[in-house]
Amino acid sequence: MASTEELLEAYAEWRTRSNANPRLTKMLKGWDRVIHFTTTDTVQGYTMRVEGQQLSELALGHEGQPDVVVTGSSEDFCDMYWGDLNPSEKYMSGEITLAGSQQDVMRIDAISMVAFLDT
Amino acid sequence: MEGEQAMAELERECEVVVIGAGYSGLAAARHLARSGEDVLVLDARHRVGGRSFTDVTGAGFTIDRGGQWIGPTQDHLARLATELGVATFPTYTTGQGVELRDGTRDLYVGLIPTSDPHGAADGIAGMLDLDLAAFDVPTEAPWDAPDAATLDAQTLASWFDTHLSSASARDILEVAVKAVFGTGSGELSLLFALFYLHAGGGLTNLARSTGGAQERRFAGGSQQLAQGMADELGDRVMLGAPVETVAHGPDEVVVGARLVGSDADPADPSAAHRPLKVRARRAILAMSPVLCGRLAYTPALPGRRDQLCQRMPMGAVTKIHVIYDSPFWRDDGLNGQIVAPRSAMGATFDNSPEDASHGEIVGFIAGDDCRRLESAGPEVRREIMLADLELAFGPRARTPMEVVEQHWPAEPFTRGGPVAISSPGALTALGPALREPVGPLHWAGTETATAWCGYLDGALSSGLRAADEVLRALKGEPVGLD
Repeated sequence: MASTEELLEAYAEWRTRSNANPRLTKMLKGWDRVIHFTTTDTVQGYTMRVEGQQLSELALGHEGQPDVVVTGSSEDFCDMYWGDLNPSEKYMSGEITLAGSQQDVMRIDAISMVAFLDT
Repeated sequence: MEGEQAMAELERECEVVVIGAGYSGLAAARHLARSGEDVLVLDARHRVGGRSFTDVTGAGFTIDRGGQWIGPTQDHLARLATELGVATFPTYTTGQGVELRDGTRDLYVGLIPTSDPHGAADGIAGMLDLDLAAFDVPTEAPWDAPDAATLDAQTLASWFDTHLSSASARDILEVAVKAVFGTGSGELSLLFALFYLHAGGGLTNLARSTGGAQERRFAGGSQQLAQGMADELGDRVMLGAPVETVAHGPDEVVVGARLVGSDADPADPSAAHRPLKVRARRAILAMSPVLCGRLAYTPALPGRRDQLCQRMPMGAVTKIHVIYDSPFWRDDGLNGQIVAPRSAMGATFDNSPEDASHGEIVGFIAGDDCRRLESAGPEVRREIMLADLELAFGPRARTPMEVVEQHWPAEPFTRGGPVAISSPGALTALGPALREPVGPLHWAGTETATAWCGYLDGALSSGLRAADEVLRALKGEPVGLD
């Protein structure tokens, strides 16, 4: 289990790298969304917003109506943010699930893979 | 059916004659029969199923030589399987895939090989771009898409040129395109490719096993579904009856066929046969445009319908089944998937039965590689396949129990596979002719589907759509365009 501090630190790092990656920010064009992260091993939920081709800071708790809900363990989220975990592996095994419209799920799947491979 | 002398002509009458006992023709006929119509289905082959063909190999293994997968949102196919009690099971995807490139071997997890991470990222971003563009093309009428003419004047290859910066991404996407269409990106109209991708939920969806088009298979083979539909129709399905002529007036069709014995080759024009004449009020032609274009029509088809048949050629694919005593690659943590961008054999899947009582890898040689290697013959194709399998899975892959191939372009009553494609310019000029009836002639076949075009599910829905058209026409209702 990752602590809230660890998770926020890892996310901040991931966010900085992602927002500086032109391939990734191009993929966010026209895609302003609210994304909720639900952890399976802690009670803490998180909210990320995509606005103007940039990822927001991670807010504690679930804010607003989500377009996509990402569910997984806090440990896996941390590893993913640090770039140590191939998100495809977790999507395929079902350890991380994505819920939302087909197009939104497709987009976040692609974005998380590009962040993993290219940042 | 023996004998040299001409046999007396057999005449039949029915309300609706269906040409082609593949998934689309059988779905159409079954729907019509259930609606109380007198229907007769003719197929050239001695079997039903069309591009779905389950067979038992010389060594006794059951294989699917043609279409074989079912994925999410293929609801027509799922309903039929449930109705007929045909079980499905998941495609084996546990573990890592193997990327082969210029003699090197790398392992990967997920949709795209990642030995070149920046190339893989470029490929993923490119696929997303392509799929988002595809979702802007209406599947009912791609020729009405914004910028349809501009899109139809380009190939998918030219889109790759401007949207992908990495050569390795291009290589990987080309493998996916060849596996999906049976042709390279340079042969495909961009408008057609976008339409086709949209109809199947996007390239990402079409390339995927888990969660995508290759998610599950039919226990015992896909042809059971065609057989189940044919069983319901009983003697209303006539096999070994290649149709040659279609004479049509405003409200009548007369179809001429040769009825050949079950021991004769229907493709051999000199085979002993009995002439068959079927008189009907309507006909459904449930075949690819290429095969529709090979019949002799009186009067001749309108120019644009015939031109459409000329401009929707079949893709080219050889499907190779390699059978082992066990799926031994699984013991090494491999899922049986190979992506080999520079090899003629572009991609493989683990095609073992659910109980893993033996192992099977299925591979595809598609597009220009398929055409180039046609005259080389099965031994050369087998060698290409085994060399790649050995590099991917080790020396044990060299000694399969059996290798069986299905070279679809040489099939006289298919002439390619998996699907008809459209070259630039054809859809915008001729697309509406795809489904527009010609007098009493109605068009079915997976190529006419607006969802899952090119797939078994699209074949079913196209048959149902054509049957509904016919039912409306028989009631005297106008059969408008879609």
